[in-house]
Amino acid sequence: MLSADLVIATGIAYVGLLFLIAYVSDRRARKTRSSFLRSPFVYTLAISVYCTSWTFYGSVGSAARNGLEYLAIYLGPTIVFIGWWFVLRRLVLISHNQRITSIADLLSSRFAKSSRLAVLVTVIAVIGIAPYIALQLKAVTSSIQAIAGAREFNEGTLRGVDDVGLAFGVAAGMALFTVLFGTRNVDAKEQHHGVVAAIAFEAVVKLAALLAVGLFVIFAGGGFEAIFSRAEAAGHDIYSAGTFDDRWVAMNVLSIAAIICLPRQFQITVVENSDANHLRTAAWAFPAYLLLMSLFTLPIALYGLTTMPAGANPDMFVLTLPLAADQEGLALFAFIGGFSSATSMIIVESIALSIMVSNHIVMPLVLRFSQGEGVGDGRGVSRLLLNSRRFSIALILTLGFSYFYLTRDSDALAPIGLISFCGVAQFLPAIIAALFWKDASLKAATAAVAVGFVVWAWSSFLPSFESASPVVAQLMAEGPWGIHWLRPEALFGVEGIDPLANAVFWSLFLNTGTLVIVSLFTSQSALERVQATLFVDLFRRPDAVGSLIRGSATADDLQFVAQRVLGTEKANAIFASAGAAGSAPTPQFIDRLERELAGSIGAASAHVMLSKVVSGGTVSLEEVLQMADETQQAIEYSQELERTSAELRDTAHKLEQANRQLRELDSQKDEFLSQVSHEVRTPMTSIRSFSEILLGEGTLEEEERQRFIATIHKESLRLTRLLDEILDLSALERGEQGWSNVPIDAEEALDRAVEVCSALARQRGLELAVDKRAAGAVVEADADRLSQVLINLISNAIKYNDAPEPRVEVRSRRTRRHYTVEVIDNGPGIAREERSLLFEKFWRGAVGTTMAPGAGLGLAISRQIISHMNGKLELVPTRDRGACFRITLPLPEVAQVAE
Amino acid sequence: MERRKLTSAALVFTLLGALLFLPPLATVFQIRRLVLGVPAEVIYLFAVWVLLIVGAWWLSKRLPHEGEDEG
Repeated sequence: MLSADLVIATGIAYVGLLFLIAYVSDRRARKTRSSFLRSPFVYTLAISVYCTSWTFYGSVGSAARNGLEYLAIYLGPTIVFIGWWFVLRRLVLISHNQRITSIADLLSSRFAKSSRLAVLVTVIAVIGIAPYIALQLKAVTSSIQAIAGAREFNEGTLRGVDDVGLAFGVAAGMALFTVLFGTRNVDAKEQHHGVVAAIAFEAVVKLAALLAVGLFVIFAGGGFEAIFSRAEAAGHDIYSAGTFDDRWVAMNVLSIAAIICLPRQFQITVVENSDANHLRTAAWAFPAYLLLMSLFTLPIALYGLTTMPAGANPDMFVLTLPLAADQEGLALFAFIGGFSSATSMIIVESIALSIMVSNHIVMPLVLRFSQGEGVGDGRGVSRLLLNSRRFSIALILTLGFSYFYLTRDSDALAPIGLISFCGVAQFLPAIIAALFWKDASLKAATAAVAVGFVVWAWSSFLPSFESASPVVAQLMAEGPWGIHWLRPEALFGVEGIDPLANAVFWSLFLNTGTLVIVSLFTSQSALERVQATLFVDLFRRPDAVGSLIRGSATADDLQFVAQRVLGTEKANAIFASAGAAGSAPTPQFIDRLERELAGSIGAASAHVMLSKVVSGGTVSLEEVLQMADETQQAIEYSQELERTSAELRDTAHKLEQANRQLRELDSQKDEFLSQVSHEVRTPMTSIRSFSEILLGEGTLEEEERQRFIATIHKESLRLTRLLDEILDLSALERGEQGWSNVPIDAEEALDRAVEVCSALARQRGLELAVDKRAAGAVVEADADRLSQVLINLISNAIKYNDAPEPRVEVRSRRTRRHYTVEVIDNGPGIAREERSLLFEKFWRGAVGTTMAPGAGLGLAISRQIISHMNGKLELVPTRDRGACFRITLPLPEVAQVAE
Repeated sequence: MERRKLTSAALVFTLLGALLFLPPLATVFQIRRLVLGVPAEVIYLFAVWVLLIVGAWWLSKRLPHEGEDEG
């Protein structure tokens, strides 16, 4: 026999090891984002916090008493996990989106963020879990007693301590440990990486311990077949006749509910989940873990039944079988395994419950009564949170201990656990409705959970006190006030079914019925609808705002919002014109309304407002509407101001522009006049002086007089040409054109221009290259005018070319839509600063003024002509010396060419 | 298998698993006989369990990952 002191010291040392693991993992998790700690396998192992000392010790007891029945507790979770895609995945994704921290938070968030529902769920969870905590205390207490042996139980440290005292010690130790463990700091997402790591470690320990005991039993018993046949020979029913009855179904339903609804399972599976894809691994790995945990349960139970003395507690077979074979090391390992499963359950469960109690009950109360004192700085809040967590943990373990104290006379472990399962199962209908049924309303959920809780308390919780209280015993025998059909274990007079099946059926039936019927007869608030859509249409939101409004809002809601934003008259007019009042709004109508809203308060404001409604994280719908109301007046006022000032700004801008235009025109006119005067004055001066000479001097020789007259003639021609050009240009500028555009062959015009210029080129000793030509192109133009422009360009290129080997190249080509002529020379080119002035009137450039005469109107006229032909004349940049002028004319449509 | 069919398969697989564990299907192997030295219904339950684990493993590799478009 092991001494009690050794067992307790081992337990404490093990807890110390857990603490170390948690501490180290927490620090590592803080430092590195991705590590082994966040792997799907650690996650899966942590989920196996489902296997408590009920599994470790109680399953064997259950198998010894009721055969295969124990398996139902693990088959339900298997079904839930292989169907992870449908429920768990949704829960995890929603909780990530909505930052859900507990099951109470989930239900309250889905149902209009109701704090009343959160409080109800929290209270039910705390009461419902109390038996479960008691179970762990009972298991640890019994295991210490069993391993230390009844003989030595009163020796050493445990002298004078009975089982109640021991359980109290265990509870106090657990409370202390959990406080140290789980409330060292407050994480915004309520994730406890250190705790998860420790729980995963415990999962390995308890699995290894149970497998070790199982293998030992198989070895000692001579294999499966020997164990089963010996049990059969000893008169035990190994075939589990009648296992698959109403109780089996009820237990399957309960375990399905429990793996979703138990606060600790929700905490680990949903809240502590760091990646929804981890469920992928857990989907098969967790059922596999459960299978391994229950693989040897039946053989251990049957071997215990056949080898242990009659009256031995089957719940403790896992410990007593190795002890009976003097395998003290194995027994101690098994004790550690059982201790592991109990501590992990108590730690996670009380952390999960303490989050609920502190977030939904303690904090709201404290904040209400302290008027928000000490909340100003963040430290105050987190200190308050930690203290309320610690208080909650103490409260939860006190409740568990109280339940243990009151029911200490009932012996088996498994029934206690099933009471808890049935209690938390009352959340299942509301959770399923929250995920899949948009019309489930807050009132319905609250009523359903409350009804389920009352029926559970009456038919499952109360009967567990039968042995402790004569009043309860009498109540169960005769019903309250002698009302026979209200007896807790035979509700509505239905007799002969298992008490557990009775409680499960009636509580869940009435619960679900209430949920459905009340939902059908109540309406949802706007916020409820928004939240319902966020939960149910989780995957259906390509554009979050539009589809959400589309999915959830009715015409009345929209009209309400529209009235706040647009004003009653305008909103009503829009609704009346669309005929949408009262009916379900069509997407087209909502689009229009969205535009109207955006038009009134600006698209950004409308978007911000809508997305605040949609995310619902911090601002409630009512708050947003109120905000809209308050801001509406400010918006109207500022819009009025803005409109007025915009008009003024606009007018001022127009005036300024007009003024600038006038000034420009004025200066252009001045410049033009001075240019014209200058251009006209030069020939006029020479004409005047020569004619004065001719008039005054009679002594001129005939030859000289002829020369003077010729000069006068030449100058007057030049003058006439200048005036013609000016008239031409001004006519073009006024938009008059003395010709009509008709289809002509542009190449012909080009030929003519080249021919005219070739004489000039020869005269200057210049090479005029016209190699690259288009093969005929019909453009809409005037042949003479086009030739005029081309001659102007080519002759300019010839005249101003001062290169040693002067060369002018003329190219033409046609693309699909354009006909292009380029005149390229290797002359001085156009200086960069002159390029912008090139096409101005009277511009001749630095080179032009010295090299050749001309008024500087040629390019201006050319550009006007080409633009009248819908084309473009431009100077294109060249790579090296020289200039390149390009004419681009549009080719008429193919059909017109064909004509 | 395309995604929608795969999701349907997962649903049917889950429901079938539940049915296999419940009466009347669960009672089919209550034949009061030992198979491999173990009562037949125990072998049945554990065999279904193993099949479900393997099936879940197979499906978990194939069901679309988060972030992919939902059907």
